[in-house]
Amino acid sequence: MPVERGIRLGARTLADLKKAGALEAALSDFDRFYIGTEFCENLLDRALCSEAARLLRLGRKVCLLTPPLSEKGLRLLDAVFAGLPRPARGAAPDSLEITVNDFGAVELARRRRLPFRLNAGRLLRDNVFDNTGKPLKVHNGEALAFWRGLGISRFELSTIGALPELNFSDGKRYGFSKDDFRITLYYPYLDLTSARACPLGMPDVKPGEAPRGVACARECRVAAFELAHPLIKEKLLVRGNTVFLEFPGKFYSSEKDLEKMNVDRLVYEPWP
Amino acid sequence: MKIVSCFSALRELEPLARAGADEFYTAAEGLLPFSSGTLPPEHLPRAVKEAHRLGRRISIAVNTLLATATVRQLAAIERRVLALDALGADAFIFGNPYLLAKFSGRLKAQLHLSSLQPVFNSLSAAFFARFGVSRIILPNQLAPAEAARLLAFCRRRGIETEIFDYRFFGCAYVNGRCQLHRPGHYTLREEMSEGMLCRINARPGGLVRALRPDEPARARELPRLAARLERRFTCGGAPRLSNAAAFFDFYSAGVQYLKYGIRQDAPEVKVRKVGELRRMIALAARLAAGRSRAAARRAFAAEMSGWNGGGF
Repeated sequence: MPVERGIRLGARTLADLKKAGALEAALSDFDRFYIGTEFCENLLDRALCSEAARLLRLGRKVCLLTPPLSEKGLRLLDAVFAGLPRPARGAAPDSLEITVNDFGAVELARRRRLPFRLNAGRLLRDNVFDNTGKPLKVHNGEALAFWRGLGISRFELSTIGALPELNFSDGKRYGFSKDDFRITLYYPYLDLTSARACPLGMPDVKPGEAPRGVACARECRVAAFELAHPLIKEKLLVRGNTVFLEFPGKFYSSEKDLEKMNVDRLVYEPWP
Repeated sequence: MKIVSCFSALRELEPLARAGADEFYTAAEGLLPFSSGTLPPEHLPRAVKEAHRLGRRISIAVNTLLATATVRQLAAIERRVLALDALGADAFIFGNPYLLAKFSGRLKAQLHLSSLQPVFNSLSAAFFARFGVSRIILPNQLAPAEAARLLAFCRRRGIETEIFDYRFFGCAYVNGRCQLHRPGHYTLREEMSEGMLCRINARPGGLVRALRPDEPARARELPRLAARLERRFTCGGAPRLSNAAAFFDFYSAGVQYLKYGIRQDAPEVKVRKVGELRRMIALAARLAAGRSRAAARRAFAAEMSGWNGGGF
């Protein structure tokens, strides 16, 4: 099983990469570019459409990342969906994919009859897998069948720094086959938890007031922060509304290990 | 607005009903519950009968997202759900969508969508409405202003809505999307108790450090942002979308149910908390009568700011 290599740019652009002197290397090292936002709708921007078009013109594949959505996010995402470049005749069916982290995005894609393949994002992982620790288990065949009914068979997960214990070879007991799904694995950061009310960006709520939503000035773009949690030995990393753990060590010895995990796509995250 | 109260022992039902619970819900081992504080599974049939004797409806939470089960285990769960349905359970609360799909259209009981499957928008509600969901339990990380369209959709479709009492449930992170309590991913310095990881009980000072700025032009913001993060991760607390004013807005918008759901609480604490819910609803009703919504909301928020925590 060949392993496709991707890079997660998130809300950053090719212009940002160029400014950092990293564009050429990124274009030569990675087949697929993950753009957009997984964790916060405030980073949704119609400029993602032109970014996707640019990447496709450069011969790279694209995956548009989408976050949990309020009504505001739905409106922003609808505008992005409307502006996405439609697949050219003869283009590979997976040249542009969309990763969803909200069932509202699934519904929106269905209503707009988008011609793109959908993936289930990292925030939806618990709907399919138990990866509470070292084991990584598919819930069962019925869980996978539910997603197949939505046209989704690719699931995105984060590294946990080691090869997990799997129930994939025991699929018969759980009613599934390894052929029923594929995994995209992000590294080296595991998204540990995520908020809507952003601890970095959201202004304080005045006493007696109810916030109207999650406002911010995109403070998450300024920097990531290191958090020394008194109860946890490892340093946590905070970027905007999401807390990450970093696993810098190599977590597989060969592509055979990845095959055991059903991973046929690796996504490098240059930053949390 | 009606009160939905959890319970984890049969003897809790009558006192909770006296305290003001209009509905009950529980969970049992072996039926894919979320969290601890479950009813012994053999008590479920008696719980259904006892709730009905008290004139109350009862829901059973089969709501963990981590619903891993072999084919054989899943068949056993299915048999138990169908048996409880035949016994007259009024609703089942599901979180994982495959279970919702599995039982959709097959039960006399209603299907409720757990807040562990957070619905933040009207299209997500529409997605789950397709499975025959009759109630959506809203996540606490949703502001009433954001929920207006979602609530309108639910009203049109006859789907009930339910919120948590902000005083007794207010995690900073999105429930159902959180892996913070999974120590397999990191190394704990000492034994962890529930809640200690999300609310760091420490004074601010040296816990947060900014990494290299990604946008040098905004680097001057770093000290302020680091201080804000530290305050919010420690005793200052994270900003909340759910508070007294938000409760009043949801109440005024016609949300029908208010939930108290800490099954691990002692029986007497459960009774007192349900009493607190009852008093809060009564206060909202009293202040809403004869005032503009804005004035009533101000008065409500002012009154609730004096709430002393109830000694819990």
